[in-house]
Amino acid sequence: MKKFWLVFKYEYLRHVLRKRFLFGLLSVPLFIVVILGIGMISALLAIDNKPAGYVDQAGLLTITEVPGEEEGIFADPPLVAFPNEAAALEAIDRGEIGAFYVIPPDYLETGEVRVITREADSNLSQGRFTRLVRINLLAREGEAVAKRVLEGPQMILRSVDGTRETNESNFLSFLVPFSAGVLFMIAVNSSGGYLLQAVVEEKENRTMEIVITSVSPEQLMAGKVLGNLSVGLTQLFAWILFGVVGLWVAKNFFPFAENLAIDLTSVMLMLITLLPAFVMVAALMAMAGATATESSEAQQIAGLFSLPIVAPYWFAGSIMTNPNGPLATGLSLFPLTAPVALPMRAIVTNVPVGQVILAVVLLVLVALLALLLAARAFRLGMLRYGKRVTWGELFRSRRAVA
Amino acid sequence: MATIDVRNVCKRFGKQQVVDDVSFEVVRGEIFGLLGPNGAGKTTTIRMILDIFKPDSGTISILGGPMTEDKKDRIGYLPEERGLYQDISLERGLVYLATLKGLSASEAQKRIQTWLERFDLADHKNKRIKELSKGMQQKAQLIATLVHEPELIIIDEPFSALDPVNTQMVKDLLREQRDAGKAIVMCTHQMHQVEELADRLVLINRGQSVLYGSLDEVRRRYAGQDVIVRALAPLPASLPGVDRVERENGQYRLHLTSGTTVQDLLRCLVEENIPLEQFEVALPTLDQIFIQIVTREGEAL
Repeated sequence: MKKFWLVFKYEYLRHVLRKRFLFGLLSVPLFIVVILGIGMISALLAIDNKPAGYVDQAGLLTITEVPGEEEGIFADPPLVAFPNEAAALEAIDRGEIGAFYVIPPDYLETGEVRVITREADSNLSQGRFTRLVRINLLAREGEAVAKRVLEGPQMILRSVDGTRETNESNFLSFLVPFSAGVLFMIAVNSSGGYLLQAVVEEKENRTMEIVITSVSPEQLMAGKVLGNLSVGLTQLFAWILFGVVGLWVAKNFFPFAENLAIDLTSVMLMLITLLPAFVMVAALMAMAGATATESSEAQQIAGLFSLPIVAPYWFAGSIMTNPNGPLATGLSLFPLTAPVALPMRAIVTNVPVGQVILAVVLLVLVALLALLLAARAFRLGMLRYGKRVTWGELFRSRRAVA
Repeated sequence: MATIDVRNVCKRFGKQQVVDDVSFEVVRGEIFGLLGPNGAGKTTTIRMILDIFKPDSGTISILGGPMTEDKKDRIGYLPEERGLYQDISLERGLVYLATLKGLSASEAQKRIQTWLERFDLADHKNKRIKELSKGMQQKAQLIATLVHEPELIIIDEPFSALDPVNTQMVKDLLREQRDAGKAIVMCTHQMHQVEELADRLVLINRGQSVLYGSLDEVRRRYAGQDVIVRALAPLPASLPGVDRVERENGQYRLHLTSGTTVQDLLRCLVEENIPLEQFEVALPTLDQIFIQIVTREGEAL
């Protein structure tokens, strides 16, 4: 057992202590931060926060402020009242406002409002002006009615059994399963890649015979699989941590993110599928490494296992529109597609508990089978320099191994 | 008790009988030569001893019984197909392999430092292994084989890639290990190295053991009817029982007729009052024995 830990530690640290790993770890959140930052900077550069004016010739606007109106750089610019058009025009000339509205005396009959501006791209603060006009028109209906008319209904999507709900503004309920799937693929591919390399490397550099006369093939294989798997999990947990910190920052510093919440059902589904899926993919990669003669060949075989993982994204439209159809159900049960397809279905439907259990059981069984085959492939292929282990040999009796 | 006891071991891969009824023993404090041409079954035999392959029949006892995980720590193995982790530093690679043999990291580090100094590699310990020369890598490999002070050392072609100075150093090292009571199995086709180092040997050809015993015993068994004589006076033109005389490097090589013994010749030379400086049975070299056996086996097929 002690030697298993030695192999585990060696395999884990040889990747984690490399600069390349740290760079890979930081590159994903850094990439997201840079993309968001560039987006925000370009939005800020495009924002024209110059106030807009209005001239109320109809005597309609007795209330001059909309209660609860958001202020800030992303909010509509404030509105300034002017007694007449001449004063408003002078304000435009002085650069104090970009544009102004003229509410004519017959507004209630015609509904027409003129907008006067020198520059076509001036920020008209149209949303704020519309709300101001509406709240004044509804002044006699009372504050509660006015608020309802202004805000419209708040839609809450709730499942039939009442166990889950989400609201329109919580885009995280969609984003999390999609992005977690992508992160899972990146992590599983990188740790799978490390594992492939680790298994083939000892054959390529001829260290194999020394190692297996020091440690049992089972301990060696287990140490390698779990060591390299932990590299991927470290990556994944670090990214989740970055995500949690990012969410906390967003909720506390950006008003639009106040209502964001993560759907725990999707997270639970991801957790129970990701771990066995991780073991399964890692074992398949190890098997590929053990059967191949050199790393380039192993990479090609491993590519076959990576493709099905992304398949649910190709069918995302079908899964979302028909989440309980045969395609969606099939993809969420098939072990290689389940880790991405199951949480994706859970966004839009309540996945039956029986299907979740079946998917997880299948995943665990395939993971165990893959581990068994990987150990067999390893024992068969460990001393075959330049000679491939065939699939036939892999499934034949254990006697051939000895 | 023998350190290795191989009895009637057979191994077949597909239709090919790779090892066929091979038996031998290796004891403490000896260098044992495991010899044979390429493809004879030497490496397969070693791999069966180390429990990498299981024999189809026969038994193998190592360090007093079947191979266990604990026994692996008491064995040092330098395989023919050798190599080290290429992308890590020399010291880190050696420490890892030493810890796999049961040493603590600190103890491994201490011992490796001593070995690196002995092999003139201390200045290279932080270099990546792939940056080292082939000879340096070979020495590093020997360190990995010996650092945990194994009771049994199995080395396959220990002198390949070594220059004469390092070859001599390794020879001294092997003798030192033997004198310390270790059992050493040296697998090689370089017969002169075996002659110089080995106490006993087994020769495997086409999977079968064709020669087994102590070096002296084997050479005597294959000694012909030749005697080497160095005399202080010229030998007579003819001697009874001698059918041919060759002169080489100041000495005579006398070919005896069948029926004449070495003692008959010695008696004759004494009777002739020839002053002798050297008189010895001309023993064949292992190379000669090896070629003789392998050729004979080839003809028999």
